[in-house]
Amino acid sequence: MSSLDPSFLIKAPTHPVGVYKVSKNQVFKDHRRFGFSNIVLVLTILFLFTPLIVVITYSFNSSKGMMWTGFSLKWYAALLFDSEELWRAFLNSFIIAISSSAVATVLASLAAVGIKWYSFKGRQFIQTLSFLPMVLPEVIIGISMLIFFTAIKLPLGMFSIFIAHTTFNLPFVFLLVSARLDEFDFTILEAARDLGASERQTLMKVIVPSIMPGVMSGLLMSITMSLEDFVITFFVSGPGSTTLPLYVYSMIRYGVSPVINALSFVLILSIILLAFALRRFLKVIAASS
Amino acid sequence: MKGYDVQIENVSRAYGSFKALDDVSIDIKKGEFFSLLGPSGCGKTTLLRIIAGFDSPDTGILLFDGKEILSQPPEKRHVNTVFQSYALFPHLTVYENVAFPLRLKKIDKNLIDSKVREYLHLVQLDSHIHKKPGKLSGGQKQRVAIARALINEPSVLLLDEPLSALDAKLRQNLLVELDHLHDQIGITFIYVTHDQSEALSVSDRIAVMNQGKVLQVGTPYEIYESPATDFVARFIGETNLFEATVVNCDPYEDYFMTTLDIPALNSLVKVTDYDNLEKGQRVSFTVRPEKLKITGERPNKVGKDINLFHGIVEEPIYSGFQSKYYVLLENSTVIKVIQQHANYMDEGPEIDWKDSVFVSWSAEDGYIVEVVDS
Amino acid sequence: MMNNRKREIRLGTTYSFPMGIWLFIFFLVPLLIIILYSFMKKGLYGGVEWEFSLAAYRQMFNPNFMRVLVRTIVVSVAATFFTMLLALPCGYAMARSRNQTLLLALIIIPFWTNSLIRIYAWIAILSSEGFLNETLKFFHIISESLPLIYNQGAVVTVLIYMYIPFAILPIFTTIDKFDFQLLEAARDVGANKTRAIISVLLPNIRSGIITSFIFTFIPIFGAYTVPLLVGGKDSYMIGNIIVDQVTKTRNWPLASAFSLILTLLSTLGVMWMMVSSAKERSQSGKKNPSFRQGGNL
Repeated sequence: MSSLDPSFLIKAPTHPVGVYKVSKNQVFKDHRRFGFSNIVLVLTILFLFTPLIVVITYSFNSSKGMMWTGFSLKWYAALLFDSEELWRAFLNSFIIAISSSAVATVLASLAAVGIKWYSFKGRQFIQTLSFLPMVLPEVIIGISMLIFFTAIKLPLGMFSIFIAHTTFNLPFVFLLVSARLDEFDFTILEAARDLGASERQTLMKVIVPSIMPGVMSGLLMSITMSLEDFVITFFVSGPGSTTLPLYVYSMIRYGVSPVINALSFVLILSIILLAFALRRFLKVIAASS
Repeated sequence: MKGYDVQIENVSRAYGSFKALDDVSIDIKKGEFFSLLGPSGCGKTTLLRIIAGFDSPDTGILLFDGKEILSQPPEKRHVNTVFQSYALFPHLTVYENVAFPLRLKKIDKNLIDSKVREYLHLVQLDSHIHKKPGKLSGGQKQRVAIARALINEPSVLLLDEPLSALDAKLRQNLLVELDHLHDQIGITFIYVTHDQSEALSVSDRIAVMNQGKVLQVGTPYEIYESPATDFVARFIGETNLFEATVVNCDPYEDYFMTTLDIPALNSLVKVTDYDNLEKGQRVSFTVRPEKLKITGERPNKVGKDINLFHGIVEEPIYSGFQSKYYVLLENSTVIKVIQQHANYMDEGPEIDWKDSVFVSWSAEDGYIVEVVDS
Repeated sequence: MMNNRKREIRLGTTYSFPMGIWLFIFFLVPLLIIILYSFMKKGLYGGVEWEFSLAAYRQMFNPNFMRVLVRTIVVSVAATFFTMLLALPCGYAMARSRNQTLLLALIIIPFWTNSLIRIYAWIAILSSEGFLNETLKFFHIISESLPLIYNQGAVVTVLIYMYIPFAILPIFTTIDKFDFQLLEAARDVGANKTRAIISVLLPNIRSGIITSFIFTFIPIFGAYTVPLLVGGKDSYMIGNIIVDQVTKTRNWPLASAFSLILTLLSTLGVMWMMVSSAKERSQSGKKNPSFRQGGNL
């Protein structure tokens, strides 16, 4: 990286003292705007966004192919008025996202409080157990659940998807809430008890409000992940339980319609809004993912 | 003397609209223990960072022994820094931290080893050498930081508030050690601090800074006894400072006997000064609390050059070796007086709360600050 | 004192057990079933026959599978290598930036966008009548479409694309907590910029690098969708084999055996990660890593 630093090339001037002024570019600068790492970052962000921008652009193309033929909103019209199956899939996704993330948020928040603030046997076990699903390849989780559901003879459908989604959402909410708890002082619990709060009151009036930001970001994050998941859902879904990602998959595999471009833009837009809503927690989210 | 002369000429540095340094010029001599003293945000750390090479001025030049140095990156300057937070490498042991600068050069292993041990001995850290910084106390970290900064045998050692994170007792001890170290190795020390007592006790010379400007450069006693501005008078030590107008100025022995009108005291005050001041000139008058005399009885003989006031003790503060009194004068101005307890007294100081007292000082003990801060 | 301790155990247990039990039943038990199934005999129409057998492990050494295994390793190593190579400077630049929130959003937005949409976007770009080929043809740089998709190159590119945010975020988080004055201290005593980064920055963000490596390498190693959708006939990876064994060939013991290998690999990775971050924490003397919220806006 030092090879990009021009100051190494400049010899110390030998002018007599005081006659010259040091010009800007002669001065050693450490905080260069065009440093190596900044260039890589800009290129990476371009790399990340180019595909999205291409898709968004072509959602406004009047023809089907990748030749630009003119501006049109017809794919959005098709998305709105002529995609019944897609909307049914979206409704399925929505139901599962809301229910699974609600359950995951409640269970994981409680667990985070229990593990961070109290010590008991099995603490380490639960903590490790909650970590593994985040790292394990999705294929493994999907397959193992499929085999499990088959073994216990649970019919594949909305309910099995709900269980699967709750399972993979738990660790993320747990981590986000734990991160929030790390900032809090254990002694506030003692203070609350000291001031006469009962256990229930301590939970409702002290613990819950203080971890609310973590809980909310956990909830929104698990809704996003649930709406997003394809691989695990693919294995545990049954007839009549097509979710949005499954529908998108079939669109990609069996005949692409530019409606998918329009849908992409809608989804990306909602993600941008979500990121904006969560901007205060982006750092915590980054730390826990 | 070893070390560099450090010349700072017309250095300015702005961050957006904030002027961190505003046309600063200071000459630091070889081997000097020089302090940059000022409140936080006065620009002293920015100046230090410019000397070290972590920041660069918008305009101005910096010379080491007459040679321009701004074009050099920090690693090429014969300057090492003791950082405020020590900046010890947490992944390396004490030994490896101190060896780090030598490992960068291709030096023989045995030589490195003997040198590292020598410098760890210099800062009295012979034990603990295989500990990681996380396991050290503040004072020990401080010593590691000093050893690491010195092992390259720099010509200038920069110290950025090195004692600010330590408790008071330890600070006193380390200050004395720093002074010894400076005598021992004899290079230029540039010491940044906001603590005036630290600066006064170790420095050869001090530059007092505020809001990006150098207000005064001088020896500790010059700065204490003859402050150049209001700010310097107030910032260094404790003082009684009043706005005043020159009423009269007469030659008196080798200097001038000046009479000042001080509205806050509702009285005329006599003070000797080397300059012949014009009538009506606005100045500041300062007199240090330890130069005032406080007595329960009215003094018998009051000379021509004695200023005398009557008041009531509002707040006596006993602190062992001395007492400080806040005396409420008749016109409701409060004046600070410090009395040293030179004699044994097991019944406590004679003067107590609500006592009626007389406060006096000689014209020679006051000082006129000619530059009045706007 | 004793009373308090008991209360603590009771509360901790009440709060944590619902999640513990859920994960036990729906995560751990399925994994245990997989372990069990891998030692069973293959059932005729899927499922297993309850009879001990090492057939699945013997079948793994089939040269076809070995070829896929080697390919999976090569592709994962290559994709992870390039991902990390980009992620390190990115994380560094983000941590030093004053616009951290904006940059984080820019990394997280594609990361949260539906993965199929992202893969689809690459298909739209790379396919023979895709954006890139059409653009090149439009400017008469090429006359025939280039074979940009359904090959190993496309798989690696898209894998990098999919997992780069996973790699950047942990690196960013650790560099953000790094005391940049240490770099100044290194320069101060004579290290140039590269040397300061290698001997001071990198050792101090070790745990972040390991985390980001694990979060990239393991999912890539188990990738399924990307090789399926942008890979060619010879781009199959272990993930695809496992799925085929479950849904097409219906050899559940073999699928289980492969899954077990992947699970063990992931578990080892997680343990490595936890040990290294615990080490780092004990070194800095802090018990819990505290998260500074996006305060410097």
